[in-house]
Amino acid sequence: MQRRALSPAALGAAASALGLFFAAFSTHDYAQHLDRQLHGSHCSFVPGLSGVTEGPNACTAAMYSPYSAVLRGAYWGGLPISLFALGAYAFFLAASVYLLTAREAAPRSLWQAYGAAALAPLPVSLLMAGLSAFRLGGFCKLCVGLYVASALLAFAGFKALKRAKPAPAPEAEAAMRPLGPLGERAPTSPDLGGRGGSYPAIDESGSNVPPALRDRLKYKQRYVENMRDEPTPPPGAPGGPPPLRPARRPLALKPGPAFLIVFGLLGLFAAAPALVYAASLPDYRPLLANCGKLAEPAEPANTFVRLRTSSPKRKALLFVDPLCPTCKALHERLDVEGVIEQLDASVLLFPLDNECNWMLDRPVHPGACLLAKAVVCGDKQGRAREVLEWAYAEQESLRVAGKAGKELLRAKVRARFAELDKCLDERETLKRLERGLHFAVANKVPVSTPQLYLGDLRVCDEDTDLGLRYTLGQLAPEVLP
Amino acid sequence: MKALGPLGLAALIGALCLLLALAFVRAEVRAAADRLTNPVRADAANEASAPALVADHAEAPYCTPAFKEVLQRVLGACGLVGQQSRRGCQPSDVKTVASINDADFNALFTPLAERGAILLFDDNSEKLDEGAKKLLLERWDDRRGARYFFVVARASKTGSTDGNRSLSHKRANSVFFHLQELNSEAELDKRVGMLWLGSEFAQLTKDYCSGWPNSRAGKACNAEAINRSAFVSWVDCRL
Repeated sequence: MQRRALSPAALGAAASALGLFFAAFSTHDYAQHLDRQLHGSHCSFVPGLSGVTEGPNACTAAMYSPYSAVLRGAYWGGLPISLFALGAYAFFLAASVYLLTAREAAPRSLWQAYGAAALAPLPVSLLMAGLSAFRLGGFCKLCVGLYVASALLAFAGFKALKRAKPAPAPEAEAAMRPLGPLGERAPTSPDLGGRGGSYPAIDESGSNVPPALRDRLKYKQRYVENMRDEPTPPPGAPGGPPPLRPARRPLALKPGPAFLIVFGLLGLFAAAPALVYAASLPDYRPLLANCGKLAEPAEPANTFVRLRTSSPKRKALLFVDPLCPTCKALHERLDVEGVIEQLDASVLLFPLDNECNWMLDRPVHPGACLLAKAVVCGDKQGRAREVLEWAYAEQESLRVAGKAGKELLRAKVRARFAELDKCLDERETLKRLERGLHFAVANKVPVSTPQLYLGDLRVCDEDTDLGLRYTLGQLAPEVLP
Repeated sequence: MKALGPLGLAALIGALCLLLALAFVRAEVRAAADRLTNPVRADAANEASAPALVADHAEAPYCTPAFKEVLQRVLGACGLVGQQSRRGCQPSDVKTVASINDADFNALFTPLAERGAILLFDDNSEKLDEGAKKLLLERWDDRRGARYFFVVARASKTGSTDGNRSLSHKRANSVFFHLQELNSEAELDKRVGMLWLGSEFAQLTKDYCSGWPNSRAGKACNAEAINRSAFVSWVDCRL
């Protein structure tokens, strides 16, 4: 029984439905966060069937990364790229259905335009997959769903392009016919003389024959002329003609009205959800400066730790704990956005560890006090940023070491910054740490990290992830590169 | 469907897909905007959130309601809380505001045995010796999360009541002046509470010679010597 190949349009429709499905969940997860609260995400290959994943995961990491949305400075959270996918896959679904139903009635140029357009999402997916792998260090399952959909769609597009190739040239068709017992290929096409007719004459330059066929036709002519004298070796054998090879038909994409229509509609579909999204967004501006101010912003002598930055333009104070993952994420976000270099940044170390922080009755991050002291000690040598960024980079292993015991953690600090070891035990180091905590008390700040202050104005926690760029654009535009 | 033709069907599906996508996007954003403007409703939906913990001073187990009540009264009367410019309380103030007898007053400070120390003075002297200065500095540096630093100066029963009252006042001041030499006024302001009790209120018993760290460890200590003193300690209580 002959197996019928899956039509490009059917494959395209399936890929589009898959893409729509994942893009819708991705958009839903993103839009949930527009209320400035924390939410879980559908980090699954079967979203909807499995529950919402709470806490940090690859999908939230991707969502909070600067690559998940565009125009973050213009809109709170920006416009998630899943919106464009949503519109694009809606278009491809409709286009696939059309080709599926129209079949041969659909103009060849439309098949071509569809095929070319269907290739477009793949490079975007490859780019995002590359960013996930090399920048984020993990793949979000919803994103992988979209990558698969775009790969399937590209395959459908490729098949559609193949299908839309022009009909093979008669010469090529002749060259493809099976050989006779002596290697001859009897012409059948009327153009080639019909049954029992003659091969077309090849002019001297051979310019009237496609290059791919030139050698073979010359061979054929010579063969017909000499077939009564001596047999010529078969194709591919020594002395014989080149081996038979199907002549390649060029894809010959000719952008015309069909391309304009398809790509125009694709652009319209892709942009429409983003436009509606942008138009529906609430006004966040009144909320941005609503999270309070430092009541006593003046720094008590020698309390804060300075972070060296390249072009400080605006005073900022960060309350951080070296073992707090959200502090690390905020630091990385400020770094990736190019903001940190524009800040005249100071750090107030706020370790969530009751070894030195009396505000807690148990350690949230065991060992954070020791690392906070290391940062304070680093500041004495102008290396606070280096120590803090090391602690962030090694956070996972340092957290494990902190839980295992203070000595193990100290050994890790000593291994990296041996010169800070003595300072860790100095009374002044602890006093400086305590001065910072008393500054927090005097200002009645929440016991939480991270906290970002621009001058004395507190940036709301809700605006330090998805809405960071927009918020900074509103409150301190000079720090945006 | 056949009447529509392939193009009509595709247009219908395309329009439907697009409209659904747009409606979905709009609904999602509107729902988030609604939660944004009605956070209470959002909280109720996501369980009631716990009140945020605000940075505050330490609260040690010895901060019993009785202790805090006396502390509050003393601090109020001695200028550490409120807008009063005065600093310190004399025995009559303490007696009046604390509304507490001698034994109960001393008992309140018993839990501070490890946190505090007793600085001893020579007879009829308010001068801090090196041992006293060293111990004072150690205790001052060991602030942790405390809000108030207490100096409770006394005099022994030797001499007149007025003379002892004055002497205990000078001893409290000696401690305060030494702290002033080491710190800015801003650091001491509203932080150091001074009480001078003379010899007429809350005298220490000989038991305090051994039960509390003092600045003359290893030297002879008796009921007279232990009252020629200033008790110093951070107090880890929130008020």
